[in-house]
Amino acid sequence: MSRFSRVAGASVTLLVVLGGSWYFRSATGDASRRSTIKAPEHGGQLVATVRSEPRTFNRIAVRSASAELLSQLTQARLVRVNRSTFELEPWLAERWESSPDGLSHTLHLRQGVAWSDGTPFTAEDVAFSFRVGTDPKVSAVASSLVAGGKPIAFQVIDPGTVRLAFAAPLGPGLRALDVLPILPRHKLEPAYTAGMFQQAWSMQTTPADVVGLGPFVFASYEPGQRIVLDRNPHYWRTAADGARLPYLDRIVLEVVPDQNAELLRLQSGASDLLQDEIRSDDYVPIKQSEQRGTIAMIELGVSPNVDALWFCMKADKKRADPRFAFVQRKEFRQALSHAVDRENFAQTVFLGEAVPVWGPITPGNREWFTPNLPRYPYDEKKAKELLASIGLEDRNGNGTVEDAKGTEARFTLITQRGLGWNERAMPLLVEQAAKIGVAFDVAPLESGALFQRMVACDYDAIYMRPLATDLDPAANLDFWLSSGSAHLWDLEQKKPATEWEARLDTIMTEQASTVDPSRRSALFVDAQKLFAEQLPVLYFAAPRTFSAHSKRLHGVVPSILRPPVLWNADMLSVDAPTK
Amino acid sequence: MGRFLLRRLLFAALLVAAASSSALVLTRLAPGDVTTDLGPGARPEEVRQLRERFDLDRGIAGHWALWMGRAVRFDFGESYLYNQPVRGLVARAAVNTGILALSALVVATLCGIGLGVVTGWPASGRWVDWLRALSLLSLSVPPLVTSLVLVMIAARTGWFPVGGMTSTSAAALTWTSWLADTSWHLVVPALALALPIAATFERLQAQSLSEVAGETYLVAASARGVPAADVRWRHAWPASWRPLCGVFGMAVGSLLSGSFVVEHVTAWPGLGRLMYEALRARDIYLVAGCAASGALFLAVGSLIGDLMLASVDPRVTENEG
Repeated sequence: MSRFSRVAGASVTLLVVLGGSWYFRSATGDASRRSTIKAPEHGGQLVATVRSEPRTFNRIAVRSASAELLSQLTQARLVRVNRSTFELEPWLAERWESSPDGLSHTLHLRQGVAWSDGTPFTAEDVAFSFRVGTDPKVSAVASSLVAGGKPIAFQVIDPGTVRLAFAAPLGPGLRALDVLPILPRHKLEPAYTAGMFQQAWSMQTTPADVVGLGPFVFASYEPGQRIVLDRNPHYWRTAADGARLPYLDRIVLEVVPDQNAELLRLQSGASDLLQDEIRSDDYVPIKQSEQRGTIAMIELGVSPNVDALWFCMKADKKRADPRFAFVQRKEFRQALSHAVDRENFAQTVFLGEAVPVWGPITPGNREWFTPNLPRYPYDEKKAKELLASIGLEDRNGNGTVEDAKGTEARFTLITQRGLGWNERAMPLLVEQAAKIGVAFDVAPLESGALFQRMVACDYDAIYMRPLATDLDPAANLDFWLSSGSAHLWDLEQKKPATEWEARLDTIMTEQASTVDPSRRSALFVDAQKLFAEQLPVLYFAAPRTFSAHSKRLHGVVPSILRPPVLWNADMLSVDAPTK
Repeated sequence: MGRFLLRRLLFAALLVAAASSSALVLTRLAPGDVTTDLGPGARPEEVRQLRERFDLDRGIAGHWALWMGRAVRFDFGESYLYNQPVRGLVARAAVNTGILALSALVVATLCGIGLGVVTGWPASGRWVDWLRALSLLSLSVPPLVTSLVLVMIAARTGWFPVGGMTSTSAAALTWTSWLADTSWHLVVPALALALPIAATFERLQAQSLSEVAGETYLVAASARGVPAADVRWRHAWPASWRPLCGVFGMAVGSLLSGSFVVEHVTAWPGLGRLMYEALRARDIYLVAGCAASGALFLAVGSLIGDLMLASVDPRVTENEG
């Protein structure tokens, strides 16, 4: 061995030893820094990290998580769905009366409320917001403000009262208004009249022009770096003890695109809050930081979003494909469901932080989850019997089942590239399906290509995690109805392709237009049972979700919906705020 | 020299045009486009309007011609992601990347060449082996790993900011405080970018100097009593510059490619990060604008390298002239 090799080897060893001892020394820091629970103090700033750069303050024009976050921080609704209790709360409307048939609602607006620029808030602002929000040419929320196929009608009774008229009863009732931020007519009407509403309130807009009724106001934007929001001096809400809200003087949203860097910032104290949920991979390092007393980790609950596998079943596209003959049989999909060991799946894919699920509604959706649905427990024998019952057997002994004409049950399974849980799920699914003779060839794709193929039904099977936009099934009719744009396995049907989908349409249409909560609940149980029997989409496990924040942050009420912490920003406070 | 410069400028213009055109065409050909962002539930009218807005309703050739026609007038179109002209976005990001790249280049040049002169000179001492080992280690670790390690060190020690270009209070700072704040934030990303390049320079400088060190004119100078430091720095070192000047342009290229990951990890708001976001969103004009700007960086780096080479070896311009 040359002198040079010895020196190189020694230097590497020295680096590893020094690095290791330094790491472990810092990992066992004292726990004396734990903060104590104190009464909220006014002042100070909260630094939260976001992974993608917000593009607009105009939530009505753009449906995106970042626009929703900014809207939650700077704007207010007539009524609010509490993200923790899921109860409907009075917000800008302090009370309301609804007619017994659920078609008419009179809302009384809070008096003495002013926009962040000091202009008084009136019913004309509400009317303007409804006019824009229900205009399908400019509004991304128009489809949520529809009852009986028609936009919600509105009428100003006096400066403090508005009346809403629904063309038909709407299951969620006034909860539907939670999607509509109330906008300042005096600032945005000119843009709307000029046909420029969608371009209004971009990140380049002068802060003084972005006025709102939310707890914070836009202060500054440094592209690629941060958005700064200052306390709204005219905010209307007070705490239960009469203290003015919000407690914080400032919220800084730092743009940190890399999740590892985001985590390091939180651990180092450079940020107070991770805006997004924690990955299962990060659970251990954050737990260690929690034990050192610098970070609080909170379990948000089981995610309402669950990973799913489905086959394209659009008959027009797939009729010529000989495999369609067995893909469209429910026995085939049930067999696949029997083939997957969900406990093992939860352990392997989500590192144990997940629960097995059997349908699209997870235990995280406490109000609508139904535990007593048909299940398909892990049973290879039963799976093979089901395949045999529809003529699929391994006739040539190559390990893959074929039908009588020799068509193999072999499929290309497309999925999104670059997601940790996806990369762990794929080999497991391939292996478990192979045990019953169903072969999957995995093709990871970039998200744009994946969606393009999904919309065009240019795929055999997809594995991904569709995101729920709302916990109320009536707000997700695009998934349940055969005409829906998120009816994953066969999008936007002109008329129901199958008899069971027609039945599902009937049940869900009634469910969405019924006001009686117990009737709605019973109808949704029926819908879930039908879905579980037909199994157009297979579900395996829903992850438990966690959020992490600095111990100096108080007033956190976590939610499984996004934003998990900042939805309640006016009640947050920090230790030792700088005045 | 004039003709040499003219050729290099022409090459730079062609490089920028070819890179941005390729980026535009490849983004068009890749599956998915900006309308993917609207989701599966988008209304056909909404999709049509968006495609029209970004000229995606035209054929590829027509689209390219339209864009090129505007680009020669420095109108690079509008960004879908940011809803504003690409020119301003790219210019701002390019300045940030320029600050990062220049700092990294200065650090790499000073450290790499300085250490190379030490390690390349015969009989410099036993600790030279340690420097060589360190250099090889830096050379073999990619900027992604270096930046993650440095960010981790910054996070654990608090010696440097964990990321970003300025502190949250930057807007309220005076100009000098802002400069100090930015320099403080530069340390981690600039070091992550500079280390592999410094190692390259060190190795090249050391090898080149050790080759020159045996030349008879240096032996003669020593024999005539010229001080050892003068022999090394005034006579041997200038003679060893040629290979370094040759790789200088390539170093600028590697700075740009390295900045893609370093900017992502350290949240530096530069061109690499902008390009990454643009590619993910299929923001076609922003991708083309970033590619044009990146190509301009490469062309300028290559031009500087060529000029340096020409200044130390006039045969380069004579052969081309």
